[in-house]
Amino acid sequence: MARSAMRSLRPPRLSAFVLAVLAWLPLSFAVWYFAAPLLLWPSVLAIEGVTAAAFHDLVRGIEQTGATVTFTTSLRPGTGVSGGVVTVDVNLLLYSFGLPLLAALIIAARETAWKRHLLVGYLVLVPFVAWGGLADFLKNVAITAGPQVASQAGFSAAQRETIAFAFQFGSLILPAIVPAILWVLLHRRFLERLRAAPLVS
Amino acid sequence: MHTGAFASVPPESPRIAMIRFFVLFLVLLAVLFGLELTPPVQEWFVVPWTNALARFSAGLVTLFDADVASNGKVLRSTTNNFAVSIEAGCNGVEATLVLLAAMLAFPASWARKALGLVAGILAVQGLNVVRVISLFYIGQWNRDVFEWAHLYVWQALIMLDVLVVWLLWVRTLPRPGGDPPLPPGAAPAPA
Repeated sequence: MARSAMRSLRPPRLSAFVLAVLAWLPLSFAVWYFAAPLLLWPSVLAIEGVTAAAFHDLVRGIEQTGATVTFTTSLRPGTGVSGGVVTVDVNLLLYSFGLPLLAALIIAARETAWKRHLLVGYLVLVPFVAWGGLADFLKNVAITAGPQVASQAGFSAAQRETIAFAFQFGSLILPAIVPAILWVLLHRRFLERLRAAPLVS
Repeated sequence: MHTGAFASVPPESPRIAMIRFFVLFLVLLAVLFGLELTPPVQEWFVVPWTNALARFSAGLVTLFDADVASNGKVLRSTTNNFAVSIEAGCNGVEATLVLLAAMLAFPASWARKALGLVAGILAVQGLNVVRVISLFYIGQWNRDVFEWAHLYVWQALIMLDVLVVWLLWVRTLPRPGGDPPLPPGAAPAPA
């Protein structure tokens, strides 16, 4: 306890912190990958909730297989096709790689509340992973599936633009930036000590 | 509430400074990212930048491997025809925008911001060149490892790079009212 208290008072070294993050990343990536079906389940629930509320005409069912979510739609593959419906597979790992990054950052900071930080960080990331997965699905049916499918989805030009932006923001920015913001918010005391430490010994 | 790291000049409540920083950061990021997606910015900046990145990477690689060529945004092996195409998210533009927004939003003088941006952009783009070249060789070795490194590992490493650059920059900023005394029992630490 005394050692922990002393450690929390000592100015942290940035170089040691970065090395610790790099050391924890392989383990956190391994845990994230193998536990993905469980870790991503709440995000799938969130996606189900949003689709049931906002896209119930479009989505007939959602199924999770490992880290992949399969959306079964009410859309037909083409006007000349009599049977079958369009299904879209989305890999949620693409939108959740921030989880292992956040875990490595939290553990490397060695704050006493690291377990609480891990839990809070995970819970906050759940809707952002859902955002990525849902935006990926919408981008598929509204834009990349082609005009025959997109016309059935019934999105306006403005809605397609919004979907495109939501997808780009949800895939290129949010997965990486949210963990970093969360870590900064959860480690203000650590940052203060880091800023107080001299640059050169 | 520990918000002292966000203390600003002129002095204001650290809590307000922190909120101001995050709001400004998110607004700047959304605006910059929105601008990046517009056709003129894509045509006049993103595409030429990405092509230049491919040319620069190919130029570096040819220092030790002559069997590499670039064509537009594609880096190609002339022996086995394996090629990587530098797409959005891999050209370092988004990472640079995050750093730009974080430095512009943080309370500091414009000179400090300019200096931090020059050094920070060099650091982020430098690591991105390492990403492109490493993926080019990893892809020739093992496609599964390539997918992992490309989609997950390098994405995390680039964001870690941005965070570390920002932390280093924040540490160089003068603190309002001078440096506070170190906590009891605290030893000075090297960077």
